[in-house]
Amino acid sequence: MPLTHIPNYHMKLSAKIILLAALLNFGCKRNDKPTIAFIAGAATDFWTLAEKGTNQAAKELPGYNVIFKYTTDGATEEQKRVVDDLLVNGVSGIAIAPLDPINQKPFIDATAEQVPVVITDSDIPGSKRLCYLGTSNIQAGKAAGQLIKTALPKGGKVMLFVGKADAQNAKERITGLEEELKDSGITIVGIKTDNIDRVRAKANVNDVLVSNPEVGCFVGLWSYNGPAILNAVKESGKLASVKIVCFDEEQETLQGVQKGEIVGTVVQQPYEFGYQSVKLLAKYISGDKKSAPGEVIIPATIINHDNVEGFIAKMKAIRAK
Amino acid sequence: MKKERGIFIIFVVLCVLVSIGNPNFLGAANLKNTTRLIGIFGIFSIGSGIVIIGRGIDLAVGSVFSLVGVILSMLLVTHHVAWPLAILAVIALSLLIGWFQGTLIAKYKIQAFIVTLCGLLFYRGIARFISNDVTMGFGDGEGFAGVQYLAAGNLLGVPVPFLLMILIAVIAGIFLHRSVYGRYIFAIGRNEEAAFFSGINTNRMVLLTYVISGLLTGISGILLAFYTNAIAPSSHGNFYELYGIAAAVLGGCSLKGGEGSIAGIIIGAAMLQVIQNLVNLLGIPSSLNFAVMGIVILIGVLADKFFMGRQTTTK
Repeated sequence: MPLTHIPNYHMKLSAKIILLAALLNFGCKRNDKPTIAFIAGAATDFWTLAEKGTNQAAKELPGYNVIFKYTTDGATEEQKRVVDDLLVNGVSGIAIAPLDPINQKPFIDATAEQVPVVITDSDIPGSKRLCYLGTSNIQAGKAAGQLIKTALPKGGKVMLFVGKADAQNAKERITGLEEELKDSGITIVGIKTDNIDRVRAKANVNDVLVSNPEVGCFVGLWSYNGPAILNAVKESGKLASVKIVCFDEEQETLQGVQKGEIVGTVVQQPYEFGYQSVKLLAKYISGDKKSAPGEVIIPATIINHDNVEGFIAKMKAIRAK
Repeated sequence: MKKERGIFIIFVVLCVLVSIGNPNFLGAANLKNTTRLIGIFGIFSIGSGIVIIGRGIDLAVGSVFSLVGVILSMLLVTHHVAWPLAILAVIALSLLIGWFQGTLIAKYKIQAFIVTLCGLLFYRGIARFISNDVTMGFGDGEGFAGVQYLAAGNLLGVPVPFLLMILIAVIAGIFLHRSVYGRYIFAIGRNEEAAFFSGINTNRMVLLTYVISGLLTGISGILLAFYTNAIAPSSHGNFYELYGIAAAVLGGCSLKGGEGSIAGIIIGAAMLQVIQNLVNLLGIPSSLNFAVMGIVILIGVLADKFFMGRQTTTK
């Protein structure tokens, strides 16, 4: 009895597999439109704003499919897998935010030999990329340095908070800060890292409030560090004695700037990263091969009490899209 | 009570050393900060510990934090649900998760590691999906300041999460060490088959351990969400299940089941927080954070072994 069952079972199984494959094939809407893919870093607000930008570009480019992919922080092998899969599916152009710009050069070069590649966020100089599109993080660091100078006009001590101090954008922001603060009587006493853990980020601030009472200005280098610093300082009742400077545009950060609890924040424009890289790739793929610039720098902007209202309104409009 | 004595001595020695290194360690501000975190981490560690005593494991804790946080924020901020209702809904969800995992493990005999590992992946994915991967926050907390008080407030100068943990620890201690059900869980941890044949409804008790873990994870999840005041779905609570497991094992629970105590788990959880606190207070570079944690835990376990060894030879 069991013997007769086995082939029967196999037939059923193979029939199921064929059915499933057929369903899958119907599931994927195949068409002949060229595809442009944007490969971002981890799923944070920063990259969700970039996704809004790619969506807007997709609306304006009905002749193209636009795909947006998140990857895990630090997982360069995941970026490689995503790109390989896209190439197999015949993608026409790729915009990518390299997680490890120094060591991903061979991978980017190999990809650029097959399709045009736009690098965003952190550049890989000397690679075969079509174009770099992003902010100079060194310039962003310098902008934050200016904010710190206005916060501590008589000089003082600064503590930095970041997820990972060895990440490329963190290193560049620190470089920019150091350059700007040189000979200003302001010293950076240390860097506290939290491994992208908001609980640790806040606990770090609490600990520094206890261990280094002389620190006059707290600087959050990554987006979530701003709210973490604000909440910890607020709960300790030290808003009056401690100045806060941060990066990026988390909602709580902007509210803090609005209320005057945060001196200011330096924002990049991730929406533009997404929007402009898709537009640029589409133009290139459509045959306009000569107009591609080597570099598009989207300037970092200082948001302080004077211009925060307008910026919040702009962000609301983008998020509502 | 013998097993946690070693780790308690290490804990006290550690605290004394840190307070010599930086007297601010015992200052009111630092005690408040640290006990608040001990409270939040201690509560779910109790749940992880009870599961481990019953020879199980719960790996889904960190992802449940993310899901709980996201849903709580959606209910309170997006849908303006009254906060007691939102809290109830979230607690119900975490109980349901515990019941679901417990049923698969107890009734259908699927390995706890696999069930909760799938949970770890699944709940995180759901949290990211329903939030569109956007960081969810509570802003100024208009309309639910009462519940924010639970995480951020103090009662008579003591952080509320710490008081909650003490309350839960007392209840869990009575349940585990003074009630017959606690005995059942220890018996199942030692030898599930023997427990079954001596007439214990082992399925029901194993299920109960996961439901308890679910409940305590839910409570911690609420506190954690209000502690950070913002939940990044892809990273909120990442790897926190390991804090629960480490606290339990550090406090004398055996991963082979049947051993451990609530007091030990609390000391273990407290130790993990003090270690991270001391890294900052003693000015040790943040990059060494995990290295210090690893080495102190190892010294603690070795010392525990040493104390235990002496006890058995002098008997």
